[in-house]
Amino acid sequence: MPALLQRIVNAEPHLGSDTSQPFDVGQLPNSVSSAIWRGTEVGQAGQTVVSSGFEALDAHLPGGGWPCNAITELLQPQPSLCEWRLLSPALAGLVASGGQILLVGPPKRPHAPGLVKLGVTEKNLVWIAADTPAERLWTTEQLVKANPRGGAILAWLPQARAEQLRRLQVHAQSCDCPVFVFRPEAAQMDASPAPLRLLATLGTDWQLQVQILKRKGALMDGSISIPSIPGTLASVFTPRLMRPSQLIAKTEPTNVHTLGSAVNRRRLRQLAAH
Amino acid sequence: MSTHWAALLTDADCDSSLRIDPIGISVWALQFTPRVAKSDHAVLLEVEQSLRLFGGEEHMHQLVEAGAFELGVSRLAWAPTSLAALACARVGIRDGSAGPLAKVLDPMPYQCIDAVNKHDATLARLGCRTLADVRRLPRGGISRRFDSQLLLALDQAYGLRPEGYPWVTLPETFSAKLELPGRVDTAPGLMFGARRLLLQMSGWLTARQLGVTAFTLHWCHDTMRSKDAGDGGELTVRTAQPTQNVEHLSRLLGENLAKVTLKAPAGDLVLSATEVTPIIEQSRSLIPDDRATGEAIDLVLERIEARLGKKRVLRPVLTEDTRMEWMNHWQPMNAKRVATKVRQVPGPQPTWILKKPLRLDVHGDRPLYQGPLQLLLGPERVEGGWWHRITDAEGNQHALNVARDYWVALSQHAGALWIFQQRLPKDTAASWFLHGLFA
Repeated sequence: MPALLQRIVNAEPHLGSDTSQPFDVGQLPNSVSSAIWRGTEVGQAGQTVVSSGFEALDAHLPGGGWPCNAITELLQPQPSLCEWRLLSPALAGLVASGGQILLVGPPKRPHAPGLVKLGVTEKNLVWIAADTPAERLWTTEQLVKANPRGGAILAWLPQARAEQLRRLQVHAQSCDCPVFVFRPEAAQMDASPAPLRLLATLGTDWQLQVQILKRKGALMDGSISIPSIPGTLASVFTPRLMRPSQLIAKTEPTNVHTLGSAVNRRRLRQLAAH
Repeated sequence: MSTHWAALLTDADCDSSLRIDPIGISVWALQFTPRVAKSDHAVLLEVEQSLRLFGGEEHMHQLVEAGAFELGVSRLAWAPTSLAALACARVGIRDGSAGPLAKVLDPMPYQCIDAVNKHDATLARLGCRTLADVRRLPRGGISRRFDSQLLLALDQAYGLRPEGYPWVTLPETFSAKLELPGRVDTAPGLMFGARRLLLQMSGWLTARQLGVTAFTLHWCHDTMRSKDAGDGGELTVRTAQPTQNVEHLSRLLGENLAKVTLKAPAGDLVLSATEVTPIIEQSRSLIPDDRATGEAIDLVLERIEARLGKKRVLRPVLTEDTRMEWMNHWQPMNAKRVATKVRQVPGPQPTWILKKPLRLDVHGDRPLYQGPLQLLLGPERVEGGWWHRITDAEGNQHALNVARDYWVALSQHAGALWIFQQRLPKDTAASWFLHGLFA
């Protein structure tokens, strides 16, 4: 062991000394090198995760999937925009193993026949129509405390404050299922105790632009494009419909900077500069 | 055969002013042993045979004492014989089996045993004070001068003769009454008394190996009520799974009581188990679970339902219908479900649906929703419903017939939408509606 320590000490670059010998992780025993985390890497979740079903997204999520034992905040420019497109691959896996999907206060009525086609069967779906913010918070907290193993909790909490989310997060640490909290895009300016925050917007041609606002590990610049045709439409689309942007370009001059645009911010900024 | 007795005094003053009902206590105690006897104001239970089942003497003591304390019994004692236990409870010794029985009983005043206390006047004039004094008197003289009951009671207390009691039998149905110490004005204030009744019910359920699926709390208004208030009210609480769990039942009852307003102050409470089914206890695992699971998810959903209301915790039921609105309906958690396999509608279906289709503005020929919509796919004609008649508020019948052409439309901001065009007679402007979202 002293020999090994000696090597580690030697390997450390000293200030002003000769740095011709760069630090090589390969010299370290496996147990040590695997425990080293560098600032540029994606953090380790350190707990179980549920794969999101999108490889591109998994690569950027700590641990490679949606975390259990923590709340995950998903921001969208408007409610009921892309919840199922983003989550249904993960949820379908949970449902297949018998998990319950619990919806707390969704903004619109869930349509079970459509969800069944995505793999979320009607037996495993519970809709809790909680209306007031207080009811939603209370219900979510009760569910998180109950720890519905193998399932998932989806809560729409647009008005939740940071301290209320913190309370949820503390309870979620002992909850073995993923907890998703949906909030408006404007909430990205507020601090949040959720260890993982994502902003999902619609991209062109059935893509979802996912921006990771907060995660364990290095910050992520830019956004990830994940191809996601709304589940039941993929089977009936013709190749032409797979690229609706071309279709639109043909039929009309686009007018992007209309109400609530979240599609192309850069372009807006350019317009404003002129 | 050694015996292990507990005596619970129900006539002692206790801090809470609720009167303790010996019958209720004996029903509650039947969950520990079938040998429960009621003598005047005390409840006696013999638990020797049940000690192992409840995890040993110490654990048994804790269980009984904790339960009795919640029921308002503050004085109880343990001893090898029932009369000794009763005597110990009266003088305030908790455990009478600590030393030899004679040593425990001898210094006690003879008033502790009822049969001896009956001859109080004579014994006092004889100069007796303690049980030891009475025992020192010649036996032959005692049996001649006093009745045989005194000697019998003494021998039974000292464990020299066997004791026999008419055991309390478990009632077939459960209904318990409680007189509240004062008038209760608010429904949540009934919880204190109701919890005590729930404990008794749980004891009865355990003894009968049943689980409750519905119970009724009935309250009687006191005599000072106004004329229109009626005699009282009642509240029935239902559970999905049969349960004996007092915590769960009292939380459910609490949620339900929070929504009740009493028409007049209440004086009496009656709790009855209206629906019961046999329950099979879960066997515990030898290896401890790595993380304590919370309550079962069904119990939590039931509690949420109790607070939010019946129509707020819903599960979908699919039906074979091509019309969007009736493809699935939502029903409460506990409602029975048909187990038939439902054929799915072919083709795409949205994931969110609007309760009422939203009429869209039309610009030129194109519908607008957060900007102009691009129609991608369609039309999918949905027609029918003439067989589905409903009666509206005014008593007129009309059919829920639809004639629609559904399209998949793309909005730049709202994603893929499921919109339809109402098919109308000729020469009428087409109207577009938004009905669902492919989110």
